[in-house]
Amino acid sequence: MNSAELSLPKGFEALEPFVESWAIAGANNRLKARLASEESERVAFFNIGKELVPAALELLDRKPLDQLDEKEDRLMKLVLSMAHIGPAVEIQKDHEPRHAKYARYITITRASADDNPGPAKR
Amino acid sequence: MTFATREFQPVSKEEVAHIGTDPVPAAPYYKPEYFELEREAIFKRTWIQIGHVCEVADPGSFIVRPFEVAKASILITRTKDGGVRAFHNVCTHRGTQLVEDAAGRRSRFSCPYHAWTFSNEGELLSAPDFDRFYVDKAQCGLPEIAVDVCAGFIFINMEKSPSHSLREYLGPLAGDLEKLPHARATAFSEYVYEVNANWKLTYDNFQENYHLRFIHPRSGELAGGPRNPFGYPEKYGFHDPHRTQTIWSNPGATPPPFQSFAFAKAAEFVMKDGFNLADKEYYGIFPNLFILGTAMTPFSQFIMPIAADKTRSIIRLYWIGEDDSASKRFAREAAMTTALDIHSEDRAVIEAGQRGLASGALSHIHFMSQEVLCRHLMNQVDQRVRAYQYECTPKGDTA
Repeated sequence: MNSAELSLPKGFEALEPFVESWAIAGANNRLKARLASEESERVAFFNIGKELVPAALELLDRKPLDQLDEKEDRLMKLVLSMAHIGPAVEIQKDHEPRHAKYARYITITRASADDNPGPAKR
Repeated sequence: MTFATREFQPVSKEEVAHIGTDPVPAAPYYKPEYFELEREAIFKRTWIQIGHVCEVADPGSFIVRPFEVAKASILITRTKDGGVRAFHNVCTHRGTQLVEDAAGRRSRFSCPYHAWTFSNEGELLSAPDFDRFYVDKAQCGLPEIAVDVCAGFIFINMEKSPSHSLREYLGPLAGDLEKLPHARATAFSEYVYEVNANWKLTYDNFQENYHLRFIHPRSGELAGGPRNPFGYPEKYGFHDPHRTQTIWSNPGATPPPFQSFAFAKAAEFVMKDGFNLADKEYYGIFPNLFILGTAMTPFSQFIMPIAADKTRSIIRLYWIGEDDSASKRFAREAAMTTALDIHSEDRAVIEAGQRGLASGALSHIHFMSQEVLCRHLMNQVDQRVRAYQYECTPKGDTA
């Protein structure tokens, strides 16, 4: 893969296969993606992600959030999805399908990570 | 993070027996007649949290909140003098709901029906062809609702002249709440769910840990442990009508690696903000608000009654300052998902409780000593309902 084809900053090539499924805008969409995912997808993403999140944050912390370029913004979204996948893989483990059945009733109506979250909706 | 290691001693049966030991009638948890009494006796005459000052940070900003249990829609405004005002969201012409937006910035509100226009201080500014009416503009201001702020939380009271100020109502807890991160918050994350259950049954779920190991076998693992398998709190406090519990921290808890990484990131920011990681007071503010005082997960939970068997639960995590780095953004998202994981697991069992009680199969339910906060809530509710019933009883001559 040459650098023109990469959708993430250099050094994060290992996360490329997960961009389509997990570089998700909006905290509620990230939650719903977790709840709809298969265990194999979660584990594959988590195992690569957990190694790269510290380095990703180190890179992203160098810039104000509103100045991230497209590749960095995609990486930020992957890191945020890891905040959703982490509890599923590390804590819920084989209980995740049961947990997901309950959690689907929850809607994230506002999140600090969402741009222009707007008013809290009821 | 380190915690002093010591033996855990649960609060004894004797220490809390003064709150009561008898079985508790089941009917108040499902009878629509009782809900109607609560509506009048509690929700229309008690200070109720309805928002946070960060939602109306600047003059001209406003929010509109449904307040179903009082059958009302509430308009909260920030006026140019910096004050917070609350009004019924009702045009004084013919009662049309005035503002449709949930929030925004506007210092004037025009009714969609006949264009009566009000200031954000409630004054009727203009109305088309007003000379043909038989009333003065000065008499047509928006109906105002008592409002006050503590710890950043906006409270309203639907009583015309509240019998106590908000400070009197909160008592010594007001000062404690003012020290919490919530009081300095400028932003929040929020998640919401509805549950087909009575508000007290919903509220009670969050004021006992007896269920923790059964309903949260994984997400609640860190709160239990061999020394305190049920994760009972260290102590209870009764501040009528409110109550507190001091959350126990499991000194042997070892979160898995990625969660530890997220916790460490969050702890970094909490310490920069000057909060103490050891603070772990959980406040139950009567009738329907929880505030968790821990610096790592500073949340509030607002249990909004909708009907006798329908409730909305609104959970917020409060933040000081906007996300200003990727690490802070990640830490906040992770704190939210951790709390959400636990909260999402209770809904089904709360509904199962409602279905069981609504069958009428039980005349009474039982609270053990570690469910004393549930008992205390019911005591407080019932006292008010009885006082209201007495108030409504015709007082004729008894001679």
